[in-house]
Amino acid sequence: MSSKDHINDFAGGGVSRRTFLKGCALAAAALGLSPDVVPKMVEAAMSPKRPPVVWLHFQECTGCSEALLRAARPDIATLILDLISLDYHETLMAAAGKQAEENLHDAITKNAGKFICVVEGGIPTKDGGIYCKIGGRTAVEILDEVASKAKTVIAIGTCGAFGGVQAAKPNPTGAVGVQDLVKGKPVINIPGCPPNPENFLATVVQILTYGRPPELDELSRPKFAYGRKIHDHCERRPHFDEGRFVERFGDPGHKKGYCLYKVGCKGPVTYSNCSVERFCNIGAWPVGAGHGCIGCTEPHFWDTMMPIYKHLPGIYIPVGGGIREQAEEIGKVAVGGAAAVIAAHAAVGIGKKLFSIKCTSKEKEEEK
Amino acid sequence: MIRREPRLYYRVFVWSGTLRLFHWTLAFSTFILILTGIYIHYPPITTKWAEFKPQYIMATLRYWHFCAGYFFLCALAVRFYLFFAGNQYERPMDFLPINRRNLRSLRHNIRFYLYLTDEHECRMGHTVLAGTIYFILFICGVVMGLTGLYLLYPEAPTIARLGHELFGTPQQARLIHYLLNWFFIFFIMVHLYIAIWNDFKAPDAIISGAFSGSKMMPADLECPVEELKKIPFEK
Ligand code: HEM
Ligand code: SF4
Ligand code: SF4
Repeated sequence: MSSKDHINDFAGGGVSRRTFLKGCALAAAALGLSPDVVPKMVEAAMSPKRPPVVWLHFQECTGCSEALLRAARPDIATLILDLISLDYHETLMAAAGKQAEENLHDAITKNAGKFICVVEGGIPTKDGGIYCKIGGRTAVEILDEVASKAKTVIAIGTCGAFGGVQAAKPNPTGAVGVQDLVKGKPVINIPGCPPNPENFLATVVQILTYGRPPELDELSRPKFAYGRKIHDHCERRPHFDEGRFVERFGDPGHKKGYCLYKVGCKGPVTYSNCSVERFCNIGAWPVGAGHGCIGCTEPHFWDTMMPIYKHLPGIYIPVGGGIREQAEEIGKVAVGGAAAVIAAHAAVGIGKKLFSIKCTSKEKEEEK
Repeated sequence: MIRREPRLYYRVFVWSGTLRLFHWTLAFSTFILILTGIYIHYPPITTKWAEFKPQYIMATLRYWHFCAGYFFLCALAVRFYLFFAGNQYERPMDFLPINRRNLRSLRHNIRFYLYLTDEHECRMGHTVLAGTIYFILFICGVVMGLTGLYLLYPEAPTIARLGHELFGTPQQARLIHYLLNWFFIFFIMVHLYIAIWNDFKAPDAIISGAFSGSKMMPADLECPVEELKKIPFEK
């Protein structure tokens, strides 16, 4: 079959050639590649051997899958019909029960060493992993079996990447991310809550085109998407530099589009391309809509980025029953404490001096 | 009984010029770092003027913070060098509570500051209590420097790797950077108070010593005069 026929197939499948090429060009742009590679990408994407993908769900809310369903560059139909062969995905597949189990088994044995394993959701490890079981097997066992046969593992969403909300303190189920369990295999993290589907798709296209994962950062996140702080590409940054801040939501500064730093924006410490890539194909993103970034692509953001409307977290002070103090309070304690100690110390010193003067003058009198 | 102050003092030089340079560089840079840092942490409302005339106030103060940060780092590097290459009194062996003599001295210092004794310890270098706290301050300074560099260059490969190993995410580093800021403020308040208090209580004139490098040592029997005589009077 020539590639021309393929394109006709595409058209028949509801995707125009134009849309498809546009999708590839956008993926190339997202990856920071030159337009020259677009033909190569098209070729890779159109090759009849679509890479098999096995998508696992563990402790998750399916938000990442939902986000993927809303992707438009390319859309989900193009993705699963033409780019990849989605052999197993619990929420999208028709099969259920025993048949589903068989599909999974077939997919990983038939394509051993060739398929991409995508993991959505955290994996509970406490008490033998009993807090997440599918078909009688724990998430740890399933991941172990599937990932050991996979070529590449992609952890999608902050749960899959770093444990997510179920790993928030005190982490009752001992939830962890994929990279804590899968060793000796490339694990690519696409964090976010949910992640931008374009980042996932661009990563898949990169693997298709070059056969290897994109360049990754310390946390195994693709650098093309997570290489820069939100803050560095934010449209409100000039207001930050000028010292113009929203004091509270709905105030005149908020209406004028000032920087959201003082209402808790985590853009200065969050790595993601939200401000560039944006969401839902309408150029929208949280900061653009007037709400600070909550830092959802960073590990343990449920613990370190809270409260949402303060830019630094509260800290836990283990006195009495344990209280959570806002970081500002520490300043009051430090300065107030120092002032109190100094005042008391000086008072004792002066008191002693006065007392000893009295005593000595008495002594002198007695001497006379 | 009234304890009479000794009348005869030797003026001895204990703090090298390098150490004094370190001290004042650290002092001024920390002062600027704290002021600009607090602005960065909680910028007060300046929108009225920022709206009419470009000020770049946050950008400028951050720039000052980073410039002062470099002075601060240089000062720390100098102090680190003096730990090994400084004179006898500038080396950690002299002022950390690591031997019996220094432990006894530490106990004495604490009693002195708690008004439990009026007897001032005449000591050539840092007293052990001060030395220990300065050492802790040095460590905190290193942590400040590392978290600061991590916040400033989070994308530089070496710094990013080091920062990740030591502190976790930039947000965690930022919290440490912020909390230690209060330790520095606490330290400065107590340090200034203690320096002034000592000027009242003790004859060694440590405030002027911070400029001149000298300490006044009473030629009194209670003080180790033999040790004094070993020090050549240099100028
Ligand atoms: C005694 C020394 C220092 C003090 C007291 C200090 C204080 C502070 C404070 C209070 C903040 C604001 C934290 C926040 O709320 O986000 C801050 C931020 C920062 N400091 Fe320092 N700092 C010190 C040393 C340094 C050094 C040595 C560097 C590196 C050169 C540095 C670089 C930074 C950076 C990059 C930020 C973040 C600025 C931003 O997020 O816009 N600091 N500092
Ligand atoms: S809104 Fe947030 S990301 Fe944008 S400039 Fe302000 S602090 Fe930075
Ligand atoms: S702007 Fe921040 S909170 Fe929002 S999706 Fe991006 S990284 Fe997550």
